[in-house]
Amino acid sequence: MLGFLISEAVRDCRRAGRVAASAVLLIALSLVALGGFWVLSANLGYAVAEWRDRVRIIVYLKRELSSVEATDLRERVEALGDVASVAYVGKAQALSALKRTLGTNASVLDELPANPLPASLEVTPAPAAATPEGAHALIERLQRLPEAEEVAGGVEWVERLAQWRRLLNLAGAGVGAVLGLAAIVTVTTATTLVLHARRQEAEIMRLVGAPESAIRLPLLLQGMMQGLLGAGLALVLLVAAYRVVGPRVEPLLTLTIGLPRLEFLPVPALAALLVAGTVLGGLGGVLARSGRDR
Amino acid sequence: MIELHRVWKTYEVGPVKIPALSDVSFQVLRGEFVVLTGASGAGKTTLLRLLYRDEVPSEGDIEVLGTALTRLKPSAVSALRRALGVVFQDAKLLPGRTVYENIAFVLRVTGTPRREITARVFDALRAVGLSARAQSYPAQLSQGEAQRAALARAIARKPALLLADEPTGNLDDVMAAEVLDVVKDIWERGTTVVLATHQARLVRVLRRRTLVLEGGRLVKDEG
Repeated sequence: MLGFLISEAVRDCRRAGRVAASAVLLIALSLVALGGFWVLSANLGYAVAEWRDRVRIIVYLKRELSSVEATDLRERVEALGDVASVAYVGKAQALSALKRTLGTNASVLDELPANPLPASLEVTPAPAAATPEGAHALIERLQRLPEAEEVAGGVEWVERLAQWRRLLNLAGAGVGAVLGLAAIVTVTTATTLVLHARRQEAEIMRLVGAPESAIRLPLLLQGMMQGLLGAGLALVLLVAAYRVVGPRVEPLLTLTIGLPRLEFLPVPALAALLVAGTVLGGLGGVLARSGRDR
Repeated sequence: MIELHRVWKTYEVGPVKIPALSDVSFQVLRGEFVVLTGASGAGKTTLLRLLYRDEVPSEGDIEVLGTALTRLKPSAVSALRRALGVVFQDAKLLPGRTVYENIAFVLRVTGTPRREITARVFDALRAVGLSARAQSYPAQLSQGEAQRAALARAIARKPALLLADEPTGNLDDVMAAEVLDVVKDIWERGTTVVLATHQARLVRVLRRRTLVLEGGRLVKDEG
């Protein structure tokens, strides 16, 4: 019976012709929009998580410290609370680090008459303090150290990144919802056309005692098939876009938010898109059925 | 097999009540061939529609194949109809399917096992003398052939009761005779038949028990 119902649903899809094709396309577009926003949001999420782990507060010191003084200062900073770790960076160490960063251009530093870089403490906040408020409180405590010249760092920009991600999620959901709604309406229209075409068939089916499920299920299946087809098309488009656009935007991402590469959606997310497409299509099929029953 | 007790059917069109059947009672026994006759609008089609539960009576009780239709739940209607065969004046064949597919389609939607379908379709086609037209589309059939195909579809599920509503209404005499021969064959194989017709000549040819309806009332039960 299931094989029969599926073959009837395929037949119905063919009957709906261009309208069914439009429905498939609209479902694909809505899922591409949703999937595209999802990819961006997921990658921003990775960046936020990465940067949260790498938040540092730098305490620039008034002068270079001896190793005994540095150990004493480290211990005092650790005792301030909300501190995961403290590292002392001497002037020479800072200069070496700068040279490593400059790479082939490092020779310009040799022209300097003296090392201009201050000694510093690199303070990693405890996870509880890796929030704007926690970081502020820690910075205030660090500023009160007599050795401190200036304190720099914070997590505001990481939070801004997280806010952008939330905004992106909202926009993705909004665009996806509008296109999804349009897809449901189109599937409903396609199914209604099929209903009109198979009115005589349904009448005969009822007269010969076919169970209602045999009359209604092909409509639901037809919608689900259109949805699944649209979702499959959306996945193909997303993969193609990722392959084409990914390598081009990766350098920009590395430079701006420090992501080594643009990640694609994980398998569960792809499965979720397939399910979403199938549900969208099925909903269209069900709504058309309700219309006929009225 | 069929029992009607004081059945009334009234259609309401706005404030106007149109009586279609008034106080109709009769019985049909297993194996009978009953002809239901009367002028157009006498209530024949309404009566048949009550028998296959396409309509419910306004008053009275109907029992078909041991099932009380008046209190039948909508979900049980399909089970009742699977035990019936129904044919109409227009054959109601699906135009996009061949004769074979029209019959197989009905068998499939009513849950016949797939392996039995081909044999049952050809049994039914043989019974109506239409085996050679199995792959023809309805548009390629004469009206008589289309009606025989409809009969094949109705008997493919081996129903205990065949309800035929003016099956020869659109046919010339030769084709009508062919269709009637098929109906008689079906009856002779043990199926109870109720055939509605307004054609007086057919009633005379058939010489079976005849119920005459006039203005929705059963005025004669003879033969």
